[in-house]
Amino acid sequence: PKKHEFFVDMTCEGCSNAVTRVLQRLGGVQFDIDLPNKKVYIESEHNVDTLLETLKKTGKSASYLGEKSVQ
Amino acid sequence: YDPLSIVIGVEGMTCHSCVQTIEQHVGKMDGIHNIKVSLEDKNAVIIYDSKLHTPATLQEAIYDMGFDATSAGSN
Repeated sequence: PKKHEFFVDMTCEGCSNAVTRVLQRLGGVQFDIDLPNKKVYIESEHNVDTLLETLKKTGKSASYLGEKSVQ
Repeated sequence: YDPLSIVIGVEGMTCHSCVQTIEQHVGKMDGIHNIKVSLEDKNAVIIYDSKLHTPATLQEAIYDMGFDATSAGSN
């Protein structure tokens, strides 16, 4: 499986909680949030555009960084 | 138009970055004249055009951003 790596401009717990909530509401995703590095790693059947649109709902700037293989 | 004011309770904000994000995002929407978000009071005071928005759509806009929004009534 591959994980999609996204940059999301999160600065605090509130920001990362907002990201958690929009992803949970989308459903069908498994994800890890790396707050210090402003990264979100997502495993999902949704396509990248859907995931990026969902992340952008938080109002933060977000961008797709690429795939990352899971060890 | 008929501008109305509403207070919406917002849960989940922890810093000024959250506050600014909501103010900027919701403030850019059509029909929003003014929005002031308070971290201390955990709410947002919004002045909006009642032809374009209802309390429910405003609440939904904040909910969509990943915060819990509760209607606290208009004033």
